[in-house]
Amino acid sequence: MIRRFAVRCWILLASLQVTIVSLVLLMALVVLCTLAQTELGTLGAVNAYMRSWLVMRQLQGLPFRLPLFPGGALVGLVLVANLSAALVRRFDFNPRKFGLWVVHAGLILLVAGEFVTGAFQMDARMTIEQGQTVDYLESYHQMELAVSDLTDPAHTEEYGIPDSRLKEGAVIALPGTPLTLKVKRFYVNAALSPRGPNDPPSLADRGVGAGVTLTEAPPAASDKEVNATSAFVEPVAGGVSYGTWLVSTVLGAPQTFIHEGRTYLLSMRPRRTYLPYSVTLRKFSHDIYPGTDIPKNFSSLVHLSNPARGEQRDVLIYMNQPLRYDGKAFYQASYGKGDTLSVLQVVSNPGWLLPYLSCALITLGLLLHFGTTLFNAIKRRQEQEAV
Amino acid sequence: MKPAKLFAWLPGLLALAAALATTLAPGPVRGFEMDRFGRTPVLEGGRIKPLDSVARNALLMIRSKQSVPYLGRDLGPDEWILDVLFRPEAADAQPVFVINDPDVLGLMGIRQSANRYFSFNDIAPHLQEIQAQAMAARDLESVQRSRFQNAVANLFERLVLFNNLENSVQLADSAGLYAELQAPGGTQSLQRRQSLAQAARFRILPPGPGQGPDAWQSTGEALLALGPAGPPPALAALALAGAGYRAGQPEAFNRGVAELQALTANLRPGALRHANAEILFNRVQPFYLGMVIYVATLLVLFASWLWRPDLLQPAAFSLLAAGAVVHSAGLVSRILLQGRPPVTNLYSSAVFVGWAAVILGVVLERMYRKGFGTAVAAAAGFASLIIAHHLAMEGDTMEMMRAVLDSNFWLATHVVTVTVGYSGTFLAGIIAIAYTLRKHLAPDPDPATTRTLVDMTYGIVCFALLFSFVGTVLGGIWADQSWGRFWGWDPKENGALLIVLWNAIILHCRWGDYIREKGLMACAIFGSIITSLSWFGVNMLGIGLHSYGFMDKAFWALAWFIFSQLALIALCLAPRRFWAPRTSNS
Repeated sequence: MIRRFAVRCWILLASLQVTIVSLVLLMALVVLCTLAQTELGTLGAVNAYMRSWLVMRQLQGLPFRLPLFPGGALVGLVLVANLSAALVRRFDFNPRKFGLWVVHAGLILLVAGEFVTGAFQMDARMTIEQGQTVDYLESYHQMELAVSDLTDPAHTEEYGIPDSRLKEGAVIALPGTPLTLKVKRFYVNAALSPRGPNDPPSLADRGVGAGVTLTEAPPAASDKEVNATSAFVEPVAGGVSYGTWLVSTVLGAPQTFIHEGRTYLLSMRPRRTYLPYSVTLRKFSHDIYPGTDIPKNFSSLVHLSNPARGEQRDVLIYMNQPLRYDGKAFYQASYGKGDTLSVLQVVSNPGWLLPYLSCALITLGLLLHFGTTLFNAIKRRQEQEAV
Repeated sequence: MKPAKLFAWLPGLLALAAALATTLAPGPVRGFEMDRFGRTPVLEGGRIKPLDSVARNALLMIRSKQSVPYLGRDLGPDEWILDVLFRPEAADAQPVFVINDPDVLGLMGIRQSANRYFSFNDIAPHLQEIQAQAMAARDLESVQRSRFQNAVANLFERLVLFNNLENSVQLADSAGLYAELQAPGGTQSLQRRQSLAQAARFRILPPGPGQGPDAWQSTGEALLALGPAGPPPALAALALAGAGYRAGQPEAFNRGVAELQALTANLRPGALRHANAEILFNRVQPFYLGMVIYVATLLVLFASWLWRPDLLQPAAFSLLAAGAVVHSAGLVSRILLQGRPPVTNLYSSAVFVGWAAVILGVVLERMYRKGFGTAVAAAAGFASLIIAHHLAMEGDTMEMMRAVLDSNFWLATHVVTVTVGYSGTFLAGIIAIAYTLRKHLAPDPDPATTRTLVDMTYGIVCFALLFSFVGTVLGGIWADQSWGRFWGWDPKENGALLIVLWNAIILHCRWGDYIREKGLMACAIFGSIITSLSWFGVNMLGIGLHSYGFMDKAFWALAWFIFSQLALIALCLAPRRFWAPRTSNS
């Protein structure tokens, strides 16, 4: 009984019906994801539809969210399982079908590549002004509360606390320092405005935060918006409180306090990852076609300095020509400040080679399959005509 | 050669002869060598082009046509631009602004009537109101604009273009370039020259010896840089030509133009060669000509189903071949003129989709010889060239490529392959439509031909899957090279993926025997809908989903196309002649 059930499941898993249903579901998901991008932004829509197991929706009048549709990850997994099962179940060494096997093996690799990308791809940016040297990457979406020890002008000691740890009531000790931070409030996104005469008093009693009214805001949804991540924190050292401070990504003014002769700077900023090498922007160029404002090329001439490997060299990064270094690729992404500031997008994806491999396999397989089919069709026609 | 064979090839040869005839240069008009003036190379929109191209593109944008009827004659683009540059009072009276929107007409107190064309003089009293409305519209994002606001903003843009052209060589309300060169310097003159330099739409004076290739100057810039050595010879020649044209003296005009041309030939021979080549392309209008030949092909083919198929069917094929030759020649000319692979923007993608479909159709016709290859090829060629014709109203179709697209390698591989995939999917859809119509209309469809149509569709779907898949993947690799990710679920990428998925679904359903003849055909027609959405639909998504701005002409055209395809799918699935009364034993 169980055996028969298992066999039937196996047959179903390897069946063409499952393939077709999955493909149709995938099409529907792609359409939904595309349409949703106008409201959720690209990342939001991709997370909701393509990288999720189930597409959840809050229906009006219901207190919980309902799974309305299988998500892209689920459909992708079913497709891979279906393909693998079909490969195992139906494989034979028929040369006429060899191309098809190659195609489907390549497809499995392609979907696997998308899973690897979804899981491991790291996306960050590097913002450099002309003449500036930078040795860290900034996250696009994650923030950190940074405490910088500015006492030694030649060397700044920095402690970053990722936003995931900034929960209301959290008490965070900074290793290697006498400091402890108490998180009083944390907001993923907020709207800040100068405090009016009728506003309630600010939670902050030190720094610029005392004169600011903060209202919580929903997290940014579209690609154009950026979260104004903010927090009220109270640094404590040696039993002494240094007051409550407001830190926010939209507050530019430096806020410092002094403890036992050491100066500490508090700031909320995009999460940084430090690199064992540094990049200096020598020159950013923004070329246009003569007599127009159509951009012709953007390029950054940078100097790469890696003392550990004894590497010192200039690199030109421009459109369609990234710098690949240290498992990362640096792309020309944006610019600003009257063409004196360059923004590089930095991507590391351990699975970047998979799509290339799978594409080569699939293309080869399709050529092989349709080539033999065409060849046979022509031969058949010639035979028919000869009769 | 047998007479029947000769008869078959005659129409095609005649069409090619007619195409060759269009390459002949027109003679002088009223003694003015306008054609020669149109060859003057200028720098506009970042590239060197003949003045004739500037005139044609501007006319297409302003009037949606390449000629202007005025005082009982049709003015060509060269004559029109001469009036605009040197006789602005005449240009202001010519009906060049096409206005279709009833609310914009209402703004000017005009009731909508058969006359849709208005002169600058007609519009001038309402300029301030139009500007105010356009400015209000400009502050809104395009998604939030109403139809009226889009129309009025568009009219204002065309007025600005017209105004810039009138002030490109000399100020429209001044005594002219010739007088300007004689005028003594002073504050007023300086102001005039500055506004001239600012308004100029193009740069007509070639760089002097030793200057870089981008150092072209507008007359305003040259006037501002005027030194004690006097005007550069090209400026003097241009002034002479302008004064001659204004005064109605052909000799002076022709002498000025000849001098200007000789100087340019001396300073920038490459620019003049390019301008001469492009003007030939402009004159022939190969894509318009191709469209006409494809229509003729279809007519002859329809006739062949009623009378003497043995004669008319090959004749239709010869016409199709002639159309394909003209179409290909146009495509190759564009590649050579632009120095780019065939597809660089939406316009050229339409031209190329049609071309690839025509070539596929020719191959199919040679393989199966039933007339259907000819029919679908001509229909595809005609339809895509009509679309291209409408897209050409946006401006210069050989515009410069924005930074990230500036890669001939990827344009030649990814873009071309994906576009061939579009062609294949459309062609399969058109064959399926032919199948549908034949099923209901042909008195007695023979099964062998039906079988042929099914085979053709199946083969083309395989072909389309191969190309759309490879093209999509190449796009992914390009994206990985330039943006750092292979796949970003961007709307355009998703559109391409949908085509791949749909073609894969069709083939898997066919292999599993879930669909047969009728189902395959209905699916193939649905493929056209998917392709049209990913080709044009995703571009509209950027404009917005739930707005008035979305409801522009292209949106309705797309909606009608989708509706027609859905109706055809229903017709394809309906029993043969379902409307006819059935006798019990048939």
